[in-house]
Amino acid sequence: MNEQVRPVMLEQVSQAAKQPKPPLLSRRYALEIRQQLAWHWQAVIIGLALLLGLGISAAILVAAGVPAGELLNEFVVLTVFDAQSLKAVLFQASPMILVGLAGCMAFRAKFWNLGLEGQMIWGAIGATAISLLEVGPPALRLPLMLAAAIGCGLAWALAPVVFKLRLKVNEIISTLMLNYLAINFLLHLLYGSWKDPRSSFPYSPQFQPFERLPELFDGISAAVPLAVVVALLALWFLGISRAGLYLRFVDANPRVAGAVGVPVQKMIIGTVLISGAMAGIAGFLVTAGQEGRLTQSFYQGYGFSGILIAFLARNNPVAALVVALLMAMLFVAGRSLQVFYQIPFSMVQLIQAILVICVASSDFFIRHRIRRVQGGES
Amino acid sequence: MDMITNWLGNTPDFAVPFALAALGLILTERAGVLALGAEGLMLVGALAAIGAQLAYGSHGVSLLLAMGAAAVVSLLFALMVLVLRINQVIAGLALVFFCQGLTGLLGTLLDWTNKPVKGQSAIELWPLSELPLLGKIFVQNPLVFMTPLIVLTVVAFLTRTTTGLRMRAVGENPQAADAAGISVLGFRLVAILAGSALIGLAGGYISVLSTKLWIADMTGGRGWIAVALVIFARWSPWKALAGALLFGCIEALIPQLAAAGVRLPQYFVLMTPYAVTLAVMIWVASGKNVAGNQPGALGIPFIREERR
Amino acid sequence: MSNLNAIQLSGVSKSFDGFMALSQADFTAKWGEVHALLGENGAGKSSLMNIAAGLYAPESGSLLINDNAVRLSGPRDASRYHIGMVHQHFKLVKPFTVAENIQLALPEGPGNHAFSGSHRQRLAALEQRISDKAAELGFSIDPRKITESLSVAEQQRVEILKVLLAGARILILDEPTAVLTDGEAERLLETVRAFARQGAAVILVTHKMSDVKRFADRVTVMRGGRTIQTLDPQTVSVPELVRLTVGESAPASEYQPAIPGEVRLQVRDLRSTGAGGQGVLNGVNLSLRAGEIYGIAGVGGNGQSELANVLMGLPEPCDGSLELTGFGDLRRASAEQRRELRIAAIPADRYGAALAGELSVAENFGVGQVHSGRYGSFFRLRRKRLEAEAAEAVAGFDVQGVRSLKQKAALLSGGNAQKLVIAREFSRDPQLVLVHSPSRGLDVRATAAVHARLRAAREAGAAVLVISEDLDEVLALADRIGVMSGGRIVAEFDRPADRQAIGSAMVSHDEPGHAEPVTEGASHE
Repeated sequence: MNEQVRPVMLEQVSQAAKQPKPPLLSRRYALEIRQQLAWHWQAVIIGLALLLGLGISAAILVAAGVPAGELLNEFVVLTVFDAQSLKAVLFQASPMILVGLAGCMAFRAKFWNLGLEGQMIWGAIGATAISLLEVGPPALRLPLMLAAAIGCGLAWALAPVVFKLRLKVNEIISTLMLNYLAINFLLHLLYGSWKDPRSSFPYSPQFQPFERLPELFDGISAAVPLAVVVALLALWFLGISRAGLYLRFVDANPRVAGAVGVPVQKMIIGTVLISGAMAGIAGFLVTAGQEGRLTQSFYQGYGFSGILIAFLARNNPVAALVVALLMAMLFVAGRSLQVFYQIPFSMVQLIQAILVICVASSDFFIRHRIRRVQGGES
Repeated sequence: MDMITNWLGNTPDFAVPFALAALGLILTERAGVLALGAEGLMLVGALAAIGAQLAYGSHGVSLLLAMGAAAVVSLLFALMVLVLRINQVIAGLALVFFCQGLTGLLGTLLDWTNKPVKGQSAIELWPLSELPLLGKIFVQNPLVFMTPLIVLTVVAFLTRTTTGLRMRAVGENPQAADAAGISVLGFRLVAILAGSALIGLAGGYISVLSTKLWIADMTGGRGWIAVALVIFARWSPWKALAGALLFGCIEALIPQLAAAGVRLPQYFVLMTPYAVTLAVMIWVASGKNVAGNQPGALGIPFIREERR
Repeated sequence: MSNLNAIQLSGVSKSFDGFMALSQADFTAKWGEVHALLGENGAGKSSLMNIAAGLYAPESGSLLINDNAVRLSGPRDASRYHIGMVHQHFKLVKPFTVAENIQLALPEGPGNHAFSGSHRQRLAALEQRISDKAAELGFSIDPRKITESLSVAEQQRVEILKVLLAGARILILDEPTAVLTDGEAERLLETVRAFARQGAAVILVTHKMSDVKRFADRVTVMRGGRTIQTLDPQTVSVPELVRLTVGESAPASEYQPAIPGEVRLQVRDLRSTGAGGQGVLNGVNLSLRAGEIYGIAGVGGNGQSELANVLMGLPEPCDGSLELTGFGDLRRASAEQRRELRIAAIPADRYGAALAGELSVAENFGVGQVHSGRYGSFFRLRRKRLEAEAAEAVAGFDVQGVRSLKQKAALLSGGNAQKLVIAREFSRDPQLVLVHSPSRGLDVRATAAVHARLRAAREAGAAVLVISEDLDEVLALADRIGVMSGGRIVAEFDRPADRQAIGSAMVSHDEPGHAEPVTEGASHE
């Protein structure tokens, strides 16, 4: 036993204890993970976040030159209460609903499908091909176009999911790269062999009347019920069928899912293909519905919108319907802002991003609790 | 043979943005923060540089402001991932779209779009610039020559300093770093700011030294390609530089082919960088040990008191 | 021994999301002593020590170092007060060298931001200090080796060197012997005892009575987040210690001799190599018989996890075969077929490999049978039936803490989560039961319940395999014991087994049957 060591060592420790230190906070804040929060509280928090996001967006709009009083008018009154705008909103909502559902589907399989725009493009290309090649009798033309859109959108989603499962290639990059490939191919077609000979603009020849989505009662396009039907199918798939449970397992813990007998690979591939198909339908809706021809920028904004809708709706198809409707309102309002106040359309993108950030930030308060913790008194 | 000389000579110009952006991403990711926001931060840097150049006319100032602007915007990202512990993929995506929207808006409102600026005159590295065939490689603007030095600096920092060691520890095993008394959040914040500054510099290079004007969304996916670059460079700065040169080669080839009169469908040629990125990702993934060098704690938010 | 208090914690309380981990706990250690902190899993010992080491902040209570009140702002602060903790789960950066890992923990020196030269020089000087200190403590370590390539015991030595070189005089060790063989544990505890005799304070967090009896000068028992009592281990009997630790007498488990039947599963020559090319499984052979519990003992890292994965049908590339009597090679069976064959698998990592925490209790229970159509066709899932059967199972297997079948499985405590897994796996009266580390993280009562289930399965005629790194558990359960070392079974013992012989078999590396002679770790009792 080293008698000399002990006194020296005691000295050292005592010195350390007695030295004047920078004053510590009398309270420390500790971060804890919450296990569960009642869903109504979650809704409140998300609601507050959305309000915050909208508030920030409004501030930016005012700073960009929109008179504050006009804002409410533009966004709420005109879009909802004006019959003409309402039709436009519903029309706009249909492809929104579809990309939103597509996003929900992919995320349920833990697949970041950023290729929604590419899949939309291919869906539209497929439908246009049917029209230009005049496949099938007029009565069947429209359903064939829809089928082609589904097939093409689905096919464009096949490669990324297979690459992810077989080779572990990051799907964010692969789907994005495929987007760029699709966009360039679209331009190639529109400036090349599919260009409308009667005009100098890069779009395809106008569709025939029977190749366009008909208007149902009161000027509401057939696109709307089509979107609702797809939403119901999604609801069945995710909520009632076996697939819903399987997907939730795959989402929660793929390893356990495989161990307990869930056909993980089939589920993921199937779900991602459905996602691609839905995006393809969205492309069909815009092309055969709104535009009536294949154009060069019809897809813009839908990619991120789809992701945003899925994110805000927490991958729930019914919520996605509602959020898509709101997104459509945002788009329509954005277009009129563009016309009347010369605000560029990227404003819409900015607002979308702000909303995502606010809602994502609110998740922090749902998942965590901040507690004040005493440092300790002697 | 003129074509080859021009092609090689233009390569560094195209390679620099990739190299700087990849370097910035590596710095951030080595500290354990998954950084997908490169595309957006590059746009911010590009816009800020154009704005500064239109206002002050000095390239040095413009590039510095590009770095600063990107760093400031990255504070938002830091807030999201460090404080609010948001999923880093979502935060990265949100950042990209935020930046795209913001720069699109500001570019139009401030009337900076499509306003050409003067470039920087090139420096000739004599006697190397007299070489046949390869000579033009050594006639570049100053930032090109600085790029390898910047890479060297980052490498030296990471591998030869204690601070760099600490930063890497934060990325590999933040629990261990925390127990050793290292400030995990502090190091990650610095990594995000520094990395974003480099990405902003890349963007500034594109707008002020390369293309010499601003158009919305002008980076055209280069930020995403940089993200892919980092993965197949296995988070090594020198390999990222090599990959950047490869992509520089490809991008430089496109205008040369057109000038040489080679008739290829225009849009297919434009697809090349993206197709190559995809191909390389697949090629790399099918080799073994893909995630070999990936920082251990990449993408996982850090909380000290996680109940086990 | 000195009479001075090195460190004193008083009235410490701490809760996590509503769960009270510590409730007015007290603890005092003096200079120059080895003080054991004894308690079972969940008693709060690690939480209390994490507070002492500055990692957690207490909600109330105080900390005194050398009788001076102190507030710790973090681990670096604790290190300034010469407190060093070696955690149960090592805090090492695997790709770094030993010296680099230790460098991280050293307090700020001059010129930390200089480039080149300086950092290299500091590392070189540190490497020298490491070698010297290691020699002083009686072992050798190469400071240039990558930490990942070291054995578990060696990694632990790195952790100890780390805290010592950072100047620790109050040394806290959290369950240090859990990952060591008997011999290694012996050496470690002797080393720290010598350290205490030099005047330092050593706190030993453990749940092993034997360690307490042999090496501690004083022992403090904790239970349910509270401090129960502080005693002299030499004067108190083991049953008394057990009573204090558990709160009641440990349930006596009677052993019934096994009546082994036919061979159910023949494991033939499993071989696999790891990422670095070294052999992980080097020819595992064993046979499991009906009505018998076969226990695989061994220190972790000798291929147990890989063997468990292969047996349980988890992805694990390897050569060799698993012959199930009446079926063929089990490796070709799908998860569906395994269920049909009545094979129950209980993996070590509950939330990584057995349960999906985010999903409900009912879903976790029933998911395995969904594919076979038991709960409806693909087009419509019949939830009512699923929930009814889940409710039955929860009651039958005594899974507690389930307020509603819809609640998330992650809310269950360790013991109840394990019971849920067992409820699911045992729902078809299994003929083959494969278990890995069944009582990890469980308290005594839950452990007893799990062991009872395994014994019951054996009584019912199943073949049971238990892989566990807790030698006490294997000794308590198994009818036959196989010792796993270096990726193969090196020795087999029948019950009653000689602990000594098992221990020496664990450290044998080469051919089976050539156990190293017992030169160290010989029992003194």
